[in-house]
Amino acid sequence: MSKTYSALRESMETRTLSSGLRVCCLPKEGFSKTFAVLATDYGSVDASFTLDGRRYDTPAGVAHFLEHKMFENPDGNALQQFAKTGASPNAFTSQTMTAYHFSCTDRFEENLEILLKTVFTPYFTEENVAKERGIIGQEIGMMDDTPGWQAFRGLFEGLFREHPARVSIAGSVESIAEITPETLYTCHRAFYSPKNMALVVCGAADMDEVCAIAAQHAPQDAPEIGERHYGKRREAVNELLVTRKMQVSQPQFLLGFKDDPPDEAESRLRRSLLGELAVRVLCGDTAPLYGELYEKRLINRNFETDYSLIPEGAAAILGGESRDPEAARELIEREVKRLAREGVDKALFARMKKAVYGLHLRVLDLPEAYARQEAAALFAGEHYLDFAGLFDTIGPDDVRAMFARWARRDRSSLSVVEPQQ
Amino acid sequence: MQHVTRKKLGAGVNLTCVTTPKFKRAVLRAALLLPLGGPDAALRACLPQVLRRGTARLPDLGAIGAALDDAYGARIETTVRKEGETLAVGFLSDCIDEQYAPGAEGLTASVVRLLCEMLFAPYLMDGVFSPDYTEGEKKNLLDRIAAQKNDPRQYAPKRLTELMCENEAYGQSALGTAGQAERITENKLYTAYRRALDEAQLELFYCGTMAPDAVEALFAAALPARGEGAFYTPAAEIVPRPAGAPREIVEREPVTQGKLSLGFRTGGTSLLSGDTPAYWMFQTIFGGSTSSKLFLNVREKKSLCYYASAQFVGLKGILLVNSGIENKDFEVARDEITRQLEACRAGDISDAEIESARKTLTSAWRTMLDDPLTLERYWLTQAVAGTLTPPEERVGQIESVTRERIVAAAEGTALDTVYFMKGAGK
Repeated sequence: MSKTYSALRESMETRTLSSGLRVCCLPKEGFSKTFAVLATDYGSVDASFTLDGRRYDTPAGVAHFLEHKMFENPDGNALQQFAKTGASPNAFTSQTMTAYHFSCTDRFEENLEILLKTVFTPYFTEENVAKERGIIGQEIGMMDDTPGWQAFRGLFEGLFREHPARVSIAGSVESIAEITPETLYTCHRAFYSPKNMALVVCGAADMDEVCAIAAQHAPQDAPEIGERHYGKRREAVNELLVTRKMQVSQPQFLLGFKDDPPDEAESRLRRSLLGELAVRVLCGDTAPLYGELYEKRLINRNFETDYSLIPEGAAAILGGESRDPEAARELIEREVKRLAREGVDKALFARMKKAVYGLHLRVLDLPEAYARQEAAALFAGEHYLDFAGLFDTIGPDDVRAMFARWARRDRSSLSVVEPQQ
Repeated sequence: MQHVTRKKLGAGVNLTCVTTPKFKRAVLRAALLLPLGGPDAALRACLPQVLRRGTARLPDLGAIGAALDDAYGARIETTVRKEGETLAVGFLSDCIDEQYAPGAEGLTASVVRLLCEMLFAPYLMDGVFSPDYTEGEKKNLLDRIAAQKNDPRQYAPKRLTELMCENEAYGQSALGTAGQAERITENKLYTAYRRALDEAQLELFYCGTMAPDAVEALFAAALPARGEGAFYTPAAEIVPRPAGAPREIVEREPVTQGKLSLGFRTGGTSLLSGDTPAYWMFQTIFGGSTSSKLFLNVREKKSLCYYASAQFVGLKGILLVNSGIENKDFEVARDEITRQLEACRAGDISDAEIESARKTLTSAWRTMLDDPLTLERYWLTQAVAGTLTPPEERVGQIESVTRERIVAAAEGTALDTVYFMKGAGK
């Protein structure tokens, strides 16, 4: 399918191959580089699943461990193969996605072949798994020393009682010690099926050529994918307050409002846009409350807002540095209640909507972000470029209804990283 | 080639324009270039923060926020950057291109106006800055100075350069010292502001679809007139070689993972001196990519770290290697890093490594053309260096770099200081 979005001056082509792999090309006129991402709908939250009638509860950090090992193959290391063409490869694991990508200015087809081959060819040995434990152990150590990451972990522990979003993406030194080549093969089989994956190319590439290469390297006998388990869902948060102590000069905090997850019929993309808009109206850096908190020195310029959608869960997230996170929380919660009660001022709503539209428009300039957004949208059966049309369907009452959910009892959790002394 | 123009708009005012149709947003910058460090350092770091709080027309964050939302979420962020031994303070903005939204005509003009108002028409009370704004931002600055240790990965290289360049301007922080910050008042800040306006070179930048003449006209309409004067000209002291044998400094911090940073002198090579193209090649082979010697040996072969990379600070003529390691591995990692430098010096560099580095650099510079924010930073560095070499030209320069020149770059490189932040556990 080919579609043009004339107001955005963008277009895309999409196709689902016989293996089930979804392929999307997003042309970028005038760009020097081409960016390609092969993503699987498998992240740290997908640790428990049923495959071929058997339930697996895998150690924390498997998705991320797999990510580290996938560039290695029987012929050596794909990173070095990419380096020969000058491409920059990388990969990331989030709560909901594992993605392998490269950007290049030359020899695109060759690089695409390297990417597909390496991701679809699992190669794990006792030896290479043991070696990777050392590297990932260092990465975990580095993350442990990052206050922002600790605040993020604390927040998800506070928001969820059973949901695996509680668990750190990379796992722990103890949990990764349990990972064996067999674990990795099982997870690869369960989630690296073309049916569970998407290939998005942003830049100069020919759709037919991309599909031909993908068809050649993606396995045809695509196995069924695992059925995932996220535990029993609760409406209330798990804990109202989670605190950790670290070497920080002043407290860092994240405040989360637990939202109901979207139901089957609801557009996940629309929900994300709505959530971003609501959290911006509440306390984005141009909102009245932001000015008030800033002037009281309860926040500084490092304050950020976000709306997080995970399988069977959703939350608005706000935070940064504060000399008094509890006081910031009190004022933010009070504003949520007021907005739920009184609704949003029309002029404020209109200008915030313009701003969020402008922020999304800018994503189209960023091939990495654009392709990642499209991959996430493809997993939900949607397309990122539809954001402009979806914006038109969002009104002040939608935002108010969202605030009403956040304003309910036991819906917020505060995570604080406090100075050690 | 991207179309780049650079024009002097007036006394000590330059505008660099990158004209391209490919982006949906425009990037704008207005920055004052001043010498790094000195007694005004903290005042200068505090300045853009106070100016960002309110202008004569839009007196508080709420009013500024409403104007930015109306400009389709335009952003204006303060910048306090260390560019070699030059400080760049001011504002960086990105906004959507006005063709992409209904009713957005004049959006670029409104952002240029706001940017210039922030710099030149601040919100004042009794002829000086607002005491509340000053007090708030003074405390925020103190917080930021104290927060520099929060991220060990960023702090270790910063601490290394402080120690290594303690007798050079580069050893000073762009934020100034806590002692200086403590003494900030609205009167002192306003005096420092007037002085900065008198002394600084003003660097303006635009990247977007608008023609340079049109951009110039927008700035000309928004900027106050400026008389002739003795404006700051960026400069940096290049120290070619270490003063003596390498120094080793170990400090204990309550973190889990140790951070090892090594500082080298380049033998005098910088953006403006020596064989710069060969130095880029050497730096890339040594530690500039996932096929570099540091990545392959220190990380992949020996599993000593999660990251190990080399960075060439072209404006200052130094090379930094940064890595995160287990505390017990300090000596092993340090020796492995210096061993890899020895290998480069001995000419133990394969053709494949050379070609791979050439491709990595070519790709990096071409890719730079796709991101207006990266271009902004690139052209600021060029303005500070006083050169006008576009990224495409750099690609041409490395084409002809030979192994001999790479080895010579490695040979000129000498270890000056080793800094190890030793994790003392929690």
